[in-house]
Amino acid sequence: MTTPLVIGLEEEHARVIAAAIDGELLVQPNLDDGSVNWQWADALEVWRNLANDGPKADQIVVALFPKVSDPASLDTIDLVGWVERCEVAFARWIAALGVAQRRCADGGSITAIVDRVAPLDSAGRSAETSVSDAVEALVRSLARSEGGRGVRVNLVTTPARLTKLPVVDPQPPLTSFPGQVADQVISTCRMLLSDDAVALTSTVIHADGGRSWR
Amino acid sequence: MSTPNTKVVLISGASGGVGAGVALACASAGWNIWIMARRATEAQAVADQANTHGGFAQVFVGDVGDPASVRSAVAAIIESHGRLDGIVHNATSGLSPMPTTLAEVPFADVGDHVGVSLRGTYLLAAEGHPHLVAAQGSFVVLTSEAGFEGKARLPVYAAVKAAQRGVIRSLAREWGPTGARANCVAPLASTPAMTAAFANDPAMATRVLARNPLARLGDAEADIGPVVRFLLSDESRYVNGMTLMADGGSCPIT
Repeated sequence: MTTPLVIGLEEEHARVIAAAIDGELLVQPNLDDGSVNWQWADALEVWRNLANDGPKADQIVVALFPKVSDPASLDTIDLVGWVERCEVAFARWIAALGVAQRRCADGGSITAIVDRVAPLDSAGRSAETSVSDAVEALVRSLARSEGGRGVRVNLVTTPARLTKLPVVDPQPPLTSFPGQVADQVISTCRMLLSDDAVALTSTVIHADGGRSWR
Repeated sequence: MSTPNTKVVLISGASGGVGAGVALACASAGWNIWIMARRATEAQAVADQANTHGGFAQVFVGDVGDPASVRSAVAAIIESHGRLDGIVHNATSGLSPMPTTLAEVPFADVGDHVGVSLRGTYLLAAEGHPHLVAAQGSFVVLTSEAGFEGKARLPVYAAVKAAQRGVIRSLAREWGPTGARANCVAPLASTPAMTAAFANDPAMATRVLARNPLARLGDAEADIGPVVRFLLSDESRYVNGMTLMADGGSCPIT
């Protein structure tokens, strides 16, 4: 078994996840320029292409937790803000899952972890919700493309960082909602990476205390 | 021309394919249609056809991913009609049917997908919302079954289509108190883009049709256009935040 690979940003959650699974952390670069014309994407593409050439891993976790912005209705977000909240995050996931695609060994497992608010709590989170839905589709696309070589690809979502309390009724079944990222996703992530989940691919698990029902 | 029973609707990417079908379906109801597209000649041809369907169609040549272009389009409509009842975002990147992988896709291509589909959704929503509130109108985004199930060879396309659904789900909750609505339609139709995708992946036609209970592709005007028109109309005034599958049962999301 190879050392697990964790792809993340320069922040605490990725480090905690890497430590929890004894993984090596591969950090995406900071992007200084949030320009609306995507100049920052060059750095991301260079990073992806270099990272693609690293050693294969049997288990890969992709856990991107960008800086959290305050909830804001779409109408109040200017284009620069939209690019920062939505488009940069979207592009980061493309790059990170591209590296995971290339570096996952045959028969291996990829688990992504993404911020996601439940549909009931999605007002003010249009940018973030678009990204989490995009990641669901990216995971399912990878599950399809990599399934032939035995690679499983799954997703865990967490509302912990994006949800502002109080939330509208009905309250979620578990009073621990929205919880903390590490507490809620690491055990699920371990399960999805392991052979216990041998038949699971393209699966999305909302680790949100029952707040979502789709 | 506007009467109390007609709608004024902006449709992006309506110079062909599903967008043209939506334009023609709306025209057949006698509505005022503004076709926003980059291809002037093709857009005018659709407008000419719409005018023979009983509608009143005009063309605005522009790029839905460009803020100034969207602003000008909406301003032109308000200047002409004094209202905007509906917005349909159908435009997608010309790269939509081009196979790629996440490990290799050029980020210029990713930017093109995002610019047209996702930024276009944002710009149309932001610019159009005040007018949709005034008209108690409706925003409809054309997404895809790819956004639910993913696509092995079209992962970026699938991702932007899913992302649009996320935006609409949030908008429905943000806009609801203002009376404006937001929904998606996920069509499966015979279009130039679908033809190109079949050409790039010859086995795709068999895969697509084999799982479709109706065993055919939809017709953009007859099968998809009326569904979008319904979501634009007052008949759907209690439908909000939904993705309506107009795919013959191909993608069994229930």
